[in-house]
Amino acid sequence: MSGYTPTQRLRSAPTPEWIAGIRARFPVERTVDEVLTRKLTHRGDPGEHRTDVAVLAERLLGYLHATTGQPDLAFGGLRRLTGGASKEQFTFDLRWRVDSEPTSRTLILRMDPSESIVETHRLREAQLLRAMHGVVPVPDVLWVEPTPDALGHPFLVAGFVEGTVQPEGGDKASGLGMYFPPPLRAALKDQFVEHLAAIHTVDWAAHDLSAFDRPAPGTTEGNAWSLGTWERIWHEDVLEDHPIVERAALWLREHLPVVERPVVVHGDYRSGNFMYTDDHRINAVLDWELAHLGDHHEDLAYTASDILGCPDEDGRTLVCGLLPRAEFLDRYQQLSGLPVDPERLFYFEVLIYYKMVVIAVATGRRVAHGRRTHLDAMMNLISGFGYVAVSVLQRLLDTGPDGARPPARAAG
Amino acid sequence: MGPEFAQFLSGMRKTMEQVVLPNLSDRFAQEQAGIVAATLGFLEQVHDKVFHYELLENDRYKLLLGQVLEVLGTDGLGDEVVVAMDAVRAHRAADPPGSEVHLRPYHDLRASNETMKEQLCELIRLQPRLPDRVRKAFDELLRPFFHDLQLRERSWVKPLGFDASGADLPEIDELLYSGGRLRLSDGS
Repeated sequence: MSGYTPTQRLRSAPTPEWIAGIRARFPVERTVDEVLTRKLTHRGDPGEHRTDVAVLAERLLGYLHATTGQPDLAFGGLRRLTGGASKEQFTFDLRWRVDSEPTSRTLILRMDPSESIVETHRLREAQLLRAMHGVVPVPDVLWVEPTPDALGHPFLVAGFVEGTVQPEGGDKASGLGMYFPPPLRAALKDQFVEHLAAIHTVDWAAHDLSAFDRPAPGTTEGNAWSLGTWERIWHEDVLEDHPIVERAALWLREHLPVVERPVVVHGDYRSGNFMYTDDHRINAVLDWELAHLGDHHEDLAYTASDILGCPDEDGRTLVCGLLPRAEFLDRYQQLSGLPVDPERLFYFEVLIYYKMVVIAVATGRRVAHGRRTHLDAMMNLISGFGYVAVSVLQRLLDTGPDGARPPARAAG
Repeated sequence: MGPEFAQFLSGMRKTMEQVVLPNLSDRFAQEQAGIVAATLGFLEQVHDKVFHYELLENDRYKLLLGQVLEVLGTDGLGDEVVVAMDAVRAHRAADPPGSEVHLRPYHDLRASNETMKEQLCELIRLQPRLPDRVRKAFDELLRPFFHDLQLRERSWVKPLGFDASGADLPEIDELLYSGGRLRLSDGS
């Protein structure tokens, strides 16, 4: 497996010179560079990823004692959660004192595996969650450790939110292409668009986002970082080069648009990444790890992509299984006051399919190849989704912005 | 040689689906066991076509790179492009069109293919350095190649179940074989 060419061997066992070369080649934000460089530096470490829950419980308890200064806190019930493809997720119960008041809560631990299908920075995720508190419903972050010192891997601890991610009978492990029955759809669709508009219009400069680089308005900087990140990850992780993907990267570099007014881009806004209550109220927007400051069209293109959609009873593809594309874009413009430019939307359509390919074809296969995650079998399987995305990418580049919209969507 | 791969895989999948999965109580373990069963099902469908898939790719990349060398020619090319073309020629000398790569171990076949993929990608990266006319001609060569490549890959992963248009796709056998023989181009 792999190691067929000198380049492939360097990717599997990167030398300091190779790492320096790849860092110099692609423009990325400094904390993105930090996590990607750490990944490469440790790629050659011996041993596969393995988590012993009993050992983890012991280390987490030690961390909680130290961070709260409360040796008498009560900790228990650490257990693994299903769902999610990028981080190891556990819940646990904690009884401790907050401002001298006894408090009991169920909490969630989100911890990096040795290598993840998306390598991201826990401090960025924590800062964004805190900035979004009161803007859209999000879990509250209690503690964050962006280094591996305490538990062996970076992590954050947040409040556990009760709710539903997938309607009864849903069987999508990925959350992609999820079907919502008509009454549920009617109840959720407006909230879904409202929350996206709220994310894009928040005054992010008023919050502590020190882990983020701030792109200058009216320049290509934000989009160059976004593209640079995915290009760099492709070249760090891919097990076999792919000419369609290379052609797409070239097109993206040659058509880089200006970001007029940088906004918070969620980066993974879709069904499967929000929860709702029994009375059909969205009570948590999840998975902020890919968030960055950039162009609002990036989220629009991703959220409205056919590959994440689901057909209604008449066969019309609905954005995230919730509402027609035209209604989604119209409602978004009304709520956000931000323009929707079809040319930029097309650019970001190419970018988001490129990103999906990087994640599913390059990184997913890479982490399984190195046995670096708790989900190696799933990582191999997800490459199937990636080749559907490669096909859409080829069609987009072939037809251009005036061509037919790609009919492919995910079924898994 | 036996049991055949198909029998091993079928046995494992049946055990996973009918014995292991129903007796798991942990949801995370159930989810992962289901993924293992799905993977075994995929392998059952493709395991006997792996070598021929690579052989077809070997044929197609050799054909394309030969055409690319012709289109690029020799005039007005920068040093980087010349170096990239020399690398293509060197590989073609080591594994030329019509070689007996089909008699070599799988590793050698795959390594040849990986080398050609990297070389084609390098030439694509260098497209902005090409004269406009040459770049356009290069793009014209890529278009049908890309169409066939994505179709082949989608058909290969169709049994994984991610493709909502999967029913409209040809079976991978149809793309690999014609009249009971591998679809190699003339001259290979």
